[in-house]
Amino acid sequence: MERGSNYPNGGDASAAAVPVKTTLSIVQERFKADETVHLIFEAYQIKGQEHIEGLLALVSSASGGTYAIISFSLLRNPLTASNDLKINKVFPINASFKLTTDSKAPKTEQFDLCTDDDRPTKYYYYSMRTDPAAVDFNEFCAKVNSCKKTMWDAELPSEAALNFRWLDDYREIGEVKHELKKRESEYIIYKDIIVYCATWNVNNKPCWDNKNTLRPWLASGKKAPDIYAIGLQELENTARAMLNGNQMQMFATQWVRKMLENLHDDMEYEELQSVRLSGIMLTIFVRKNLRQHIVRCRVNSVARGVFNTLGNKGGVAVSFQLNEASICFVNSHLAAHMGNVAERNDDYKAIDDYMRFEENGLQVRTINDHDHIFWLGDLNYRIQEPNGQQRPGPMSDAQTFELMLQYDQLRTEMSYERCFKGYTEGEIKFAPTYKYDVGTDTYDTGEKQRAPAYCDRVLWKGKLIEQLEYNGVMEIRESDHKPVYAIFRVKIKTRDDDKYRKVLAEVLKAVDKRENDSQPQITTDRLNIEFGVVRFNEPAIRDFNVSNDCPQNVDFEFKVKDSHNDICEKWLHVDPRGDSLMIDSARSIRVRALVDANSVTGLLKMICTAVDKCVLDILILHVRSGRDIFITVTGEYQPSCFGLSMETLCRTERPIGEYTLDEVKQLMLDVTPGYRVPMPREYFLLIDYLHNQRGQLFQSYDRRQPLSSQFNAVRDWLDSWSNDPFPGTPQTAAEALLLLLDLPEQALLEPFVDDLLASRSKVDAERYIDLLSDPKRNVFKHLCLFLCDGVERGDYDANNVATIFGRILLRSSKCNVTIDYHSRCNEFMQRFIRIESPDTLSGGNGHGGASLQT
Amino acid sequence: MDVKLHKMRGVVNKLYERIDYLIENCPNMTAAPYNYNYIFKYIIIGDMGVGKSCLLHQFTEKKFMANCPHTIGVEFGTRIIEVDDKKIKLQIWDTAGQERFRAVTRSYYRGAAGALMVYDITRRSTYNHLSSWLTDTRNLTNPSTVIFLIGNKSDLESTREVTYEEAKEFADENGLMFLEASAMTGQNVEEAFLETARKIYQNIQEGRLDLNASESGVQHRPSQPSRPSLSSEATHAKDQCSC
Repeated sequence: MERGSNYPNGGDASAAAVPVKTTLSIVQERFKADETVHLIFEAYQIKGQEHIEGLLALVSSASGGTYAIISFSLLRNPLTASNDLKINKVFPINASFKLTTDSKAPKTEQFDLCTDDDRPTKYYYYSMRTDPAAVDFNEFCAKVNSCKKTMWDAELPSEAALNFRWLDDYREIGEVKHELKKRESEYIIYKDIIVYCATWNVNNKPCWDNKNTLRPWLASGKKAPDIYAIGLQELENTARAMLNGNQMQMFATQWVRKMLENLHDDMEYEELQSVRLSGIMLTIFVRKNLRQHIVRCRVNSVARGVFNTLGNKGGVAVSFQLNEASICFVNSHLAAHMGNVAERNDDYKAIDDYMRFEENGLQVRTINDHDHIFWLGDLNYRIQEPNGQQRPGPMSDAQTFELMLQYDQLRTEMSYERCFKGYTEGEIKFAPTYKYDVGTDTYDTGEKQRAPAYCDRVLWKGKLIEQLEYNGVMEIRESDHKPVYAIFRVKIKTRDDDKYRKVLAEVLKAVDKRENDSQPQITTDRLNIEFGVVRFNEPAIRDFNVSNDCPQNVDFEFKVKDSHNDICEKWLHVDPRGDSLMIDSARSIRVRALVDANSVTGLLKMICTAVDKCVLDILILHVRSGRDIFITVTGEYQPSCFGLSMETLCRTERPIGEYTLDEVKQLMLDVTPGYRVPMPREYFLLIDYLHNQRGQLFQSYDRRQPLSSQFNAVRDWLDSWSNDPFPGTPQTAAEALLLLLDLPEQALLEPFVDDLLASRSKVDAERYIDLLSDPKRNVFKHLCLFLCDGVERGDYDANNVATIFGRILLRSSKCNVTIDYHSRCNEFMQRFIRIESPDTLSGGNGHGGASLQT
Repeated sequence: MDVKLHKMRGVVNKLYERIDYLIENCPNMTAAPYNYNYIFKYIIIGDMGVGKSCLLHQFTEKKFMANCPHTIGVEFGTRIIEVDDKKIKLQIWDTAGQERFRAVTRSYYRGAAGALMVYDITRRSTYNHLSSWLTDTRNLTNPSTVIFLIGNKSDLESTREVTYEEAKEFADENGLMFLEASAMTGQNVEEAFLETARKIYQNIQEGRLDLNASESGVQHRPSQPSRPSLSSEATHAKDQCSC
């Protein structure tokens, strides 16, 4: 068994091999021991465009007696551990819970869950299950509905039995609460307090009859108690009390005052609460500076006795919380007479069962829900001596007491667990407290000769309670009962506020950290997309990958930038603009760069202002609910004549293609009038070529149209001042001419476009034309000559070219161009290309067209 | 009889709904509900390499990243803090400091309630650039935005190039809050983030910050009734509720 040795606990290897967990068992791990996952159902949610894979679990709690549906989203699919499950919603299956399928569309694979006043949450499901542990929709609905039915439609549920408190741990607040509970030991300390319990059946004697001190009963013990719980019975004859409630209340008040006066001297006390049922009263006094630490003080009573309602017998109780500990005191007066043991047991059970304290507006807290319980009173259990046995003589020594206690009904009943289950009583070292001749220490000498008994007792239940004293008080003789007291030291669970704050801070921080750590993450395989040399009208493509390397689905998108209302600059195109990535998946993103007629101006403008001329753009890759990643797109634009202004082109001393981008930037930023040539050589070359071509070359113009196939050859021909023959067709040349004129940021006739549009005659317009910069004016005049010539030859239609060129030369950036803008452009151009006397055009300056004929 | 039973059932169901309501809504004595009253948006700005991300990490995870890569983009982290017994969720945006991203990161300033402007006490140039960062901040945020100047790397005393006094004077002249801190040792990091939050909260209390303004950088959660704090008011809370 070589292999077996690896498994010290196992016997055979196969049992020790890690078992494959079912989804159901993984889900079960998320819950506490008394909570059962009954079924799981695969359902997803849709948020925006996103599918959120999820699971619904039907869970019940034994302690709460209730069912709920817990909705999980999956951080990893398939599940490997319960950590992969994230609770996103909790639906208690209470009376208002609803599972609704859309009745209008019976085939639709969706349903709503709704509880309380919340808006319904929509879920979707596939009809095909992927996990064998999951149930199908019909089974899911049937189970859920039957749970609701059994809980809420069958019998009137006992309100105490059912609650949804267990769900607290799974709500959003639960995470912190859960952590805090786990770390309780770090901030919980135990503080000793002294609890003084006292009981006395006062035999209907008003307290003002009692001139004597109660101190031997209430102020015993060295250390001043923190809490007193004093129970009185037979405060007043029940029948009388019922007849005169006011008087009864007065009696009670007098008693409370009397008792308060007789408490321990070393401390100041105040009454926390009194509760009375006919003649049974329980009063709690607390140390004055303890009062502020006591909360949720509640009282209640359970009446027994005649018809079990009169309250001549029964119990009263006070419940409260001191620091983190809950404490309950019960004072009861149980059925009397030697033979009524069963009745006493019944009274006890009734009090134990029906005593409830209010919580959240409901009577749900039972006596046994407390950490520390003290039960005192006239329990009325007697000494049941075997027949014929002699009552012992003088009852003073411990031995005798012990002898008698052998026959104590309470001890007997407790030993059979017929009453006071779980309670403890301290050793009794005092004489029976019943029944005495009033005013004496002598046992009943009356007619009935009642046997002495330990009627008056103090019992306790709960942790960390130590009895310090337990005694009867002989010297108080006003009643036929002797008073009894018991002193306890109780360790009270207390929160150390400083430590608690520290733990809370840590817990909050841990929760925050978890939130931060669970931020969706993606990585890109590059942060820099390098295009190298980018040329006018030459598209280039680069791909990069984004991958999801976190344990959840991630959505990403490129952020729209405020500055240009799009995710990227005009010369770039990104595809896709966003997507979802499943766990461990990746996809590629394509970036296309194209500097064309629509974007070249913007690019040139950016190059002029940007710090880094090679940064074509910065894309913002946004991960939903996560970080943003900046992706820098770089490339060096190869300058071309297209897009440059006439002025810039007139400053070049060599072909533009030989300039670096930096040099072109300098040229563009130059504003001095030092032009090297009267008009751009590129322009002249085109006109020169076109002049010799025949036919309608200018049909239409739209800068968004794709350029002809020979265009790039023409571009290079122009950018290199080539001496080669023109490399394209006349149409390409016409296209290039129009672009050359149209692409510069400023229209050729700026800054006088508005004036020229408003001008009414050629003479009028010429005043402005003369004010244009030399390159612009020369280009314009030369163009007019050229067009005029074409019209004259009959190659060009005057109206047509006037429309095309008018719109280019008078391009208006204003949005609110007048309705007659187009006709005005046309009119303006027509004035200059109509055949007229040649004098009007050739006159003027020395840079006439003829001088360029090199 | 049936009618009566039906009515009683109705009453009980109402009571159950109330339980659920209370369970969800009442403050609890052992743990206050995990929730917050406000969200404050912060941005962290400053030159590359001054330790912005390290400060964020230190504050949100209590750990120092020795080899923190340059932030290429904008990271963000959250933490819930308590100011004046109010729970505040800080949403902190840590921006890339590289000059080339300056134009892009400017879009993140909008709606910041707090701006942590960071320089490195061991690199004078990062201090010299503060006025340009400050100009951006003033131009791009609203007047009530709290600007906190942090001189980071206070642990590197031996290579200090900017004195405390000098920076303090700059801060005072420009009405900035100021601390020297160390993202490595954690010294003053909490303080800087918390002081900023306190100042923002004070601005809210004193009405200097209009919560309704869309770009105040503060979101209030008025739907959540202000909850008793965990400590001082806990005892009163217990009286009202006993979850």
